[in-house]
Amino acid sequence: MSKFEAGMEAMVDMYIYETTTLLEQLDQILMKTESASSFGEEDINEIFRIMHTIKGSSAMMGLENMSTLAHAIEDMFFIIREEKPVITNTRDLYELVFNASDLLKAEIELLQEDSYSPTDFSGAKQKIFDFVDILKGKAPSGGTDQSAAQPPAAAPQAAAPAEQKSSEFTAVRVFFEDDCKMENLRALLIINKIRDDCEKLEYEPADIETNPESAKKIIENGFIIRFKPNGPVENITREIEEALNVKSYEFISAPAQSAPAKEEKAPAASAPAQPQQASPAAEKKTEPAPQKEEGASVEQINNLLAQSKGSGAKQSLISVNLNKLDQLLDMVGEIVITEAMVTANPDLKGLQLDNFQKAARQLRKLTDELQDIVMSIRMVPLSGAFNKMTRIVRDMKVKLNKDVDLVFEGEETEVDKSVIDNLNDPLMHMVRNAMDHGIEDTAEERIAKGKPAKGTITLSAYNASGEVIIVVSDDGKGIDPAKVLAKAKKNGLLTKPEKDYTEKEIYNLIMLPGFSTNEVVTEYSGRGVGMDVVRKNIEKIGGSVSVDSKFGQGTNFIIKIPLSLAIVDGMEVTVGKSIFTIPINSIKESFKLKPKQLIKDTSGKEMIMIRGECYPLIRLYDIYGLEPSYTDLFSGIIILVEAEGKSACLFADELIGEQQVVVKPFSPLLNNFKVKQNGMAGCTILGDGSITIILDVNNIISNF
Amino acid sequence: MAGILNRFTSEEEEVDLQSNKYLTFLIEKQYYAFPIRDVIEIIEVQEITPVPEFPDYAKGIINLRGRIIPIIDVRLRFHKKEEVYNERTCIIVVNISGLDIGFIVDTVDEVLDIEDENISAAPKISTDRSTKYITGVGKVGNRIVLLLDANKMLSEDEISELSSQVQ
Repeated sequence: MSKFEAGMEAMVDMYIYETTTLLEQLDQILMKTESASSFGEEDINEIFRIMHTIKGSSAMMGLENMSTLAHAIEDMFFIIREEKPVITNTRDLYELVFNASDLLKAEIELLQEDSYSPTDFSGAKQKIFDFVDILKGKAPSGGTDQSAAQPPAAAPQAAAPAEQKSSEFTAVRVFFEDDCKMENLRALLIINKIRDDCEKLEYEPADIETNPESAKKIIENGFIIRFKPNGPVENITREIEEALNVKSYEFISAPAQSAPAKEEKAPAASAPAQPQQASPAAEKKTEPAPQKEEGASVEQINNLLAQSKGSGAKQSLISVNLNKLDQLLDMVGEIVITEAMVTANPDLKGLQLDNFQKAARQLRKLTDELQDIVMSIRMVPLSGAFNKMTRIVRDMKVKLNKDVDLVFEGEETEVDKSVIDNLNDPLMHMVRNAMDHGIEDTAEERIAKGKPAKGTITLSAYNASGEVIIVVSDDGKGIDPAKVLAKAKKNGLLTKPEKDYTEKEIYNLIMLPGFSTNEVVTEYSGRGVGMDVVRKNIEKIGGSVSVDSKFGQGTNFIIKIPLSLAIVDGMEVTVGKSIFTIPINSIKESFKLKPKQLIKDTSGKEMIMIRGECYPLIRLYDIYGLEPSYTDLFSGIIILVEAEGKSACLFADELIGEQQVVVKPFSPLLNNFKVKQNGMAGCTILGDGSITIILDVNNIISNF
Repeated sequence: MAGILNRFTSEEEEVDLQSNKYLTFLIEKQYYAFPIRDVIEIIEVQEITPVPEFPDYAKGIINLRGRIIPIIDVRLRFHKKEEVYNERTCIIVVNISGLDIGFIVDTVDEVLDIEDENISAAPKISTDRSTKYITGVGKVGNRIVLLLDANKMLSEDEISELSSQVQ
């Protein structure tokens, strides 16, 4: 992010994180109020506060476009709050705010790219101004740009002559640290902090909010605040004292008592804790102040939401850079390896070491616990990802004119943070699909089928044997297998005779690239890329997707994701000199072959019969061109593996044993060599420092 | 307030002290070099785990203090005869846009200063297939050093070109 100065990067991260959180909260409030169709005073206050914070912090970051847009919304809600106009066109208001929230979100996304340039929001702003005019009972002002208009939000700004009021006002002159930059905004922060404690408040220069030039005046003359407190004066002076980057302040006048002597805070020497921590770190972490302010409101919103939703899973209490967590996880991975390196050291072979074994067991227990804890730190409830879908459903409900309920089940289920990041897009695609293709077009159609008029889309999540299973289901039309098959045939996607396809296989055809049953391409789906993208994204995080449907009754999309991406239980097998790791969760059983189990079809293809089921046989040495110890099927070992409902038998030399391994992905530099396509998921380091390759059973079976 | 956004865009065009330094190494008596700023370290040849389906010049992967690094045999990459590794054989670990990769070379020579005026462009017309990853030809005294681009030594074009030539 080269457009920000070096010291600000930490702030940028913070800013992005907080603004995103705030915008999500805004969406939630909007959605809550919209479904309840009432705008409580508390909600208006919250929205006002959120926009105010975004405005302030955006201005701080120099993102003028975002700041002014937030300002416009803030103004609008100020009018709603203060003047309580009768809002006749609520829908417009929601559209307006949702739209603005989307713009801001998109801008935040853009901000994270290197080639960022501010987007022009004047169109959106103009719409808001027009709406404000309607609220005020005026005709829309048309083209005139009001962005420069005096914000009603700001306190009465006309700087009243100080002398007149000096009897009832306390006046304070505040100086900021040299070079702390953006003095006007720092001043604004102080004002915001003390506003609630003051009965009356004036300050000079008055245009700190809108005029960056005021910073110069503040540097020259100091920032003058005149206030009439509604509590003890000390409360306010303390606030000022604690504000960031304040070098010193002095009383110019005080009401009843004689003015206290100049209270000068030397930045380094006698100052209390605050300036000390501020001065060395001044450049780096300039603005905890807005965060504090945000922290309060965020908490309030959370409380509110918790109250309104009851069981709603509460999210993150502390924000940690994900990189640090990744590092920690790497480190723990190293410890797991090193532990195995020590306890399974070849030097120890054949030695009778009771005490050592005891200590080693203890160590193993601790590393296991450590690993569990680190993993649990990275776990995030799915509720965040689910909640984003409410917004999509809401938008599509309006656009498609379908009445749909979105139901969550098990949203408290936790998955790794990196999974969540990769889950948003697929979920969105699937929910859109369900809305667009799944749910019937009209309520009459549904009633005719004996279903409730209102459709239901359910997002559910639960844990099952080391995997998280997420199901997106709708009670809509379902998928017509005949139609799918015909379409697949037309697009040349079939690989075997039509009759050989089971119903399940047919449904899964829709995941193939270039497949779409919807004849009409709509805004939301039907470009024939959707489900393919979903599958790719899920596979990227080591998961799988399958479809289940009942024509006329609904469709289920089932996503399976491994609980932890980084550490898996693996079975080590040898093939000649090479060692491979097969993830335990894809192994069904392993056994020595009996002669009667082996079947060959007419073309000499080998099959293995297990309990009446026939499985294809894959010789690992064959597909990887290795030199095996055994080519005789009865000498080696057969491993029955299953992935995504497909099974096969793998033939290897020997099983070595089970071990927890840390998955290390192949270097992206090797992408040219098609490792993934050849059924290799990654590699891992064993206790003795040697490397094994982790097999991707799914890929091996489908390649075969 | 937009000042912050633009104020520092042109900052820190830091003077690169390493810009003219190259690490030279030998393959069959010919000098080659990587820019020193890309070189992470030089290590001895250690046990290499072969990966199935890799081209023969991609020897496999090694475990370098817990990191897994792919290894390319430069000899084989340049279509020279394979030789048994000896005590002079080294792996040069190079960073390609944040990712590490090791190159097996006959022997590492030294770090050289090669000024820009002593570097001429890579020959354009040549039947030698390796010219693609040569970025320039440096002259130091009477020695000719071919400067390499590590990234291009892995490029897909080259691989597909090769396979088409085999056919």
